[in-house]
Amino acid sequence: MDPARTPLGQMLLEEITPVVMVLSTPSVEEACLKNGLSFLQMLTPFCSFNNIDVPVRTASDQPYRIHKFKLRLFYGSGVRKPDLKVAEEQLKQVITDSGEKVFSELCTDVPEINHELASSEDRNTPSWFQFFNKELVRVASFSDHEAFDHPVACLLAVSSKDEQPINRFVDLFNTNKLPSLLNDGTMDPKISKHYLLVHDNQDGPTESRASKILTEMRSTFGTSDCLMLCINSSPDAPIKHQVNPWASQISDTSPNQDLDCFLNIDDINEIKDLMQDLTSKHIIPNMEQKIRVLNQQVSATRKGFKNQIKNLWWRKGKEDGADSLNGPTYNFNSIESQIRVLGDYAFMLRDYELALSNYRLISTDYKIDKAWKRYAGVQEMMGLTYFMLDQSRKEAEYCMENAFNTYLKLGSLGQQNATRCGLWWTEMLKARDLYKEAATVYFRICGEDILHSAVMLEQASYCYLLSKPSMSRKYGFHLVLSGEQYKKCDQIKHAIRTYRCALSVFRGTTWSYINDHVHFHIGQWYASLGMYDVAVKHMTEILACSHQSKTTQELFLGDFLQIVEKTGRTFEVTKLQLPVINISSLKIIFEDHRTFGSPSAVNTKEGLWHSLEEEMIPSFTAAKANWLELQSKLIPKKLSQSNVCVAGEAVKVNIEFRNPLQITVPVSGVTLICKYSTSTEELTSNENELSLKTDNEVDHFRDMSSGNSSFLVSEVDFSLGGGETTMVQLSVTPKAVGTLEILGVRWKLSGAIVGFHNFELSHPKKNIVKGRRKPKHPPNEKFKFMVIKSIPKIQGSIHSLPRKAYAGDLRQLMLELRNPSEFPVKNLKMKISHPRFLIIGSQENAKLEFPGCLTKNIDSVQSVTHANPNIMSDTVFSFPVDTSVQGETPLLWPLWFRAAVPGDISLYMSIYYEVADISSVIRYRTLRLHYNVQVLPSLDVSFQISPSRLRIQDFLVRLDVVNKTSSESFQVYQLSSIGHHWEISLLQPPDAIFPSQTLMAGQAISCFFTLKKSRRLPTLEYNISTTHDRSDDVLLVPQCSQDLVYNTNNVPLVNFHHYERLQQKVSLENLGDLNTVDFVLISRPLNSTINHGLSDSPHVMSHHSCHLSTSSTGPISWLVDGPQTLHHDFSASFCEINLKMHLYNSSGVTVFVRIDTSDFDGSGGHLNSVNAVQSATPDNPAGWHDVTPVNELKVTSNALETQPGKALSLESVSPYIWSGSSSTNLHLEPMSSAEVPLQICVFSPGTYDLSNYVLNWNLLGDSDEMSKPSGKCQGYKYYLTVLQST
Amino acid sequence: MIVCVAVVGHQNNPLYIQSFTEADDALKLHHIVHCSLDVVDERVNNPKKSGPMLNETFLGLLYPIENYKVYGYLTNTKVKFILVTTDLDVKDADVRNFFRRFHSAYVDAVSNPFHVPGKKITSRTFAERVSTIVKSFGFSSVA
Repeated sequence: MDPARTPLGQMLLEEITPVVMVLSTPSVEEACLKNGLSFLQMLTPFCSFNNIDVPVRTASDQPYRIHKFKLRLFYGSGVRKPDLKVAEEQLKQVITDSGEKVFSELCTDVPEINHELASSEDRNTPSWFQFFNKELVRVASFSDHEAFDHPVACLLAVSSKDEQPINRFVDLFNTNKLPSLLNDGTMDPKISKHYLLVHDNQDGPTESRASKILTEMRSTFGTSDCLMLCINSSPDAPIKHQVNPWASQISDTSPNQDLDCFLNIDDINEIKDLMQDLTSKHIIPNMEQKIRVLNQQVSATRKGFKNQIKNLWWRKGKEDGADSLNGPTYNFNSIESQIRVLGDYAFMLRDYELALSNYRLISTDYKIDKAWKRYAGVQEMMGLTYFMLDQSRKEAEYCMENAFNTYLKLGSLGQQNATRCGLWWTEMLKARDLYKEAATVYFRICGEDILHSAVMLEQASYCYLLSKPSMSRKYGFHLVLSGEQYKKCDQIKHAIRTYRCALSVFRGTTWSYINDHVHFHIGQWYASLGMYDVAVKHMTEILACSHQSKTTQELFLGDFLQIVEKTGRTFEVTKLQLPVINISSLKIIFEDHRTFGSPSAVNTKEGLWHSLEEEMIPSFTAAKANWLELQSKLIPKKLSQSNVCVAGEAVKVNIEFRNPLQITVPVSGVTLICKYSTSTEELTSNENELSLKTDNEVDHFRDMSSGNSSFLVSEVDFSLGGGETTMVQLSVTPKAVGTLEILGVRWKLSGAIVGFHNFELSHPKKNIVKGRRKPKHPPNEKFKFMVIKSIPKIQGSIHSLPRKAYAGDLRQLMLELRNPSEFPVKNLKMKISHPRFLIIGSQENAKLEFPGCLTKNIDSVQSVTHANPNIMSDTVFSFPVDTSVQGETPLLWPLWFRAAVPGDISLYMSIYYEVADISSVIRYRTLRLHYNVQVLPSLDVSFQISPSRLRIQDFLVRLDVVNKTSSESFQVYQLSSIGHHWEISLLQPPDAIFPSQTLMAGQAISCFFTLKKSRRLPTLEYNISTTHDRSDDVLLVPQCSQDLVYNTNNVPLVNFHHYERLQQKVSLENLGDLNTVDFVLISRPLNSTINHGLSDSPHVMSHHSCHLSTSSTGPISWLVDGPQTLHHDFSASFCEINLKMHLYNSSGVTVFVRIDTSDFDGSGGHLNSVNAVQSATPDNPAGWHDVTPVNELKVTSNALETQPGKALSLESVSPYIWSGSSSTNLHLEPMSSAEVPLQICVFSPGTYDLSNYVLNWNLLGDSDEMSKPSGKCQGYKYYLTVLQST
Repeated sequence: MIVCVAVVGHQNNPLYIQSFTEADDALKLHHIVHCSLDVVDERVNNPKKSGPMLNETFLGLLYPIENYKVYGYLTNTKVKFILVTTDLDVKDADVRNFFRRFHSAYVDAVSNPFHVPGKKITSRTFAERVSTIVKSFGFSSVA
């Protein structure tokens, strides 16, 4: 890249150009002021030449041509160091002005970062940066250590009107008026002078006086140096020029007015020619001349080996003398200054090689002289020269850095120069795409002046953005730094601008601290400018600052509220972050054909209700009719997607508010924003309009919520403590038929600011479960409701349903249904989810007194018969046809409740009813009730049944009851066997079992019963018989009269038992019903005990145990019958004992039985001995008896098999011999018994265990060979003691 | 002295920033850590060195600013660890060692089944462990 084309190159070509000092008389100025210009201003536009062609020959003999050239014109008074104060003011003004300008542009939009990256090239450095930089560079001009600001020529202008023009010329260049720099010897006062006679054509034609003066001038000053310029040739009317060449000059002074110009085209051309002539014919040749002269001098004194040695020697000697900060002073005719002038002239004439060699030459001199400022200046120029030569980039940068550092070392003296040098350096780096390095240099330029450093930091930030890869975070950081500096010097607008740019970096990131900082300050600054709206907008961003400390939160919120207050109105914000709305918690509850009895019913899954109601709701033509299809038939297709709600019935919205802060936030006036329209068409047409003006919606909403009488909105106030979350239920009640749409929610924070949350627009995809139905329609339909005219709605509740109950608790409850509307309903049906817990009674039950109705009395016979049909009705209960629910009188219907198992139970009930009014969109509704019952464990009841060894078909029942409660005491009252083919009786009198009659908490008892098959002919249907003289109930409490025996075949108990049976169904079924027995244990709590949280004390508790199998040994039962003890004289002979085995087949099919006896030393005995070895210790004392621990909870079905023959594993006992047939086979008919004789021989007295036989059985009834059940039974223990008879 | 340590997620989201100064300079340290990500990106995207440095997790001195030195460390899941220290002569080995221990603490923290990946680390144990590591910084080579 051509260095001259880079910004730095152009800057250098413009800034480091020859200076022409202009000296003019007041009358010249006067003439020019007619055009609104000063003389200097008039000439300036024509001082830069873009297409001249001047041959230049400097030190070398090779001429080259210059095409572009520029002169800088300064008044004599301007040739001095700029006043710092003035310059500062000027710079400040520049910044302020640009701040205003840029700010007004910026207010409209915040640039997106992507956009910014794309267009960064042109917009990253706003034009005022260039301007600012130029001004900064200018501040350092006319320094005494540089020569390129030395005037190369002087233009003396005298008006033709002036008296004695020749004298005036001489006066103008009077030494005491000349700038001090020329007088004190820093600059060469001998500069070429050019004499210009300015003639105002309005004063008269040129010929007379002016030409006379010119000739006079020519004779005095020489022909070549005298010129004449005629201006204001335009006679009367000002001329408006199409292209105003002074635009850039004028804009500073009077920006808006048109230039009324008396200069016509000829005048302008004359000026142009004049300046070009001056440049090409006088100034450039002059400079060439001077360069050549100087070059010769320098060559003579400094070039060559001899001169160098001399110079070194000379400087060494001088070294000790002057050691001031600036080093020695050099006046213009010192050789050092002349070298510098030579270099600068060469630079200005673009002979960079020559310039560089001279700079190098002088640089070492200055260094040795410790003239640091001059040294730095030369280094700076060297760097620029290297750059312009486009060679040795490293060298160039090194020079610039060196210069910069040297300037910095000078402190305040070099500050301006350092800034200028830094700016050039950065430009140099930028030209080479070293933006990152440029940024660090910008960072280093930041001096003590805050304003400068702000601008520099901002420029640095843009450099970071431009670097490849762009460092956006550093960009943001430096913008923030710069904004901070701007703020410090009250450039609020700039501060806002930088912060807003920084925002584009931080937006969307999770760097919340930084984000908060930026937003907070923007908000504050906007507020300080009085732009409260924008301020509030930014402040709202930081409200949900949960990560900040409490004090910061308070500060933020306080400032925010203060700003809101300053706006003087209740501010309304669409996305207020405080409090946070948990949109996923949003739940809309509305009742179409589904109505809910309690909030908990709403929260139950729709599927659960659906399955519950499946059988009740009518199915239309299609067998698979579901809710949606049903609706689509009834309502117009267009509306089939929207939800239906009923006029007068509230639509509720549950929504969660969360306070992320640690401070309490008052929230008031929380309401729903709704939109109502009377017809469906209107709504759809409004919709487009609505979506268009979402911004204006705020006002729209307010009108909606207040003025409209077609619906009622509830209002909620609450205060959210730090970190609290509150679920709020809001409701809207439509009053008339039409369409209702819920748009969002509004609330007022701290009474000052109104927040809105639009449900749809902000969260197009959210997870709401609406009305517990999976939404199938597009999201914006979810909040739209078709309001239909009011239809009856039944309210229902269950009276006195306990929240907590002990297991087994049996109660009578009352279902109350009310229909507050005047419309009748019909065809009521009901279904209950857990018939085990809750069953529906009949109307008659309502009259019964509880718990008296449970006991056996005379009347009970009728209820038994009545109850039977209900038992199987686990499907849908239909209320009688004549049932009507209307008006004030509620419908009461009895229910039976029994806490079946411990745990938390959810009871669901659904009541279906049809609306009598056919025209309604909804024909039927369902009322859904949901109750939770906590069931506590009470009595743990277990049974163990084992066959009695006394009588065949008799069983021994052991009942174990454990009181599992912590405090309650119970009275175990009654045990009943269900069905009529079992008889049960106590083994002991009740007094013996329950001396205290109570079962305290934690206490356990067991008692024994005998159970036998009822003598009546067994039937398969257990519930038919109604005879009274059965003994299937056993009272466990002695003194009670027979009246108070609870009838287990009565209405609630038998029903509950039915469900218990279903529940407790086990796989033992295949053995048939006949061998199983069901028990119901009835207990009563003792009234004296204290109730813990139970709503009212239970009266009766029933515990059901079903399918207890009696036939643990298979289908057969047997009994060995024989003597227990007998005396025999073994001295006479061995003893033969006859035994009898009774066999009974309790199954329904024929059983084949084989009885195998085995002796101790046989195979069967071997099995036993193995068991004995395993379980008994070798040195068992004889007669030691192993007591099986009482297994109180579980009935072990294989009780016999688990008792190994180890009890009498007495090796010492002499064996006996089965002396009968070792194997007997027989067939047993169903329900029949047989007798098998057995015989053993005993050889010595002792006690014998006659369990050494095996019964093998096969069921023969089934023809299917494969699935024949068969089994093997080990003999049970039967002890026979034989004593020696005396 | 270590002034600040930070864990930054692979999307350059802050996961954990803890300063160990009394002064209220959280914002400044946030900025420093945030800016250092630019340097991390730069290091990662155009590694000047290759060969043995290619798989190096330790990124070395990221940049010196004002009176701080910022060191970086990049795990293979693109999680960055940033260390800001005021020590002027820090041994590389110390920093390496610090980062190694810090890394293992981080791994333990995110192995917690209740930690949601990509969310801020709220574990108190982690914070305690980090502060012990920070306290022992600089002594490890001596001990």
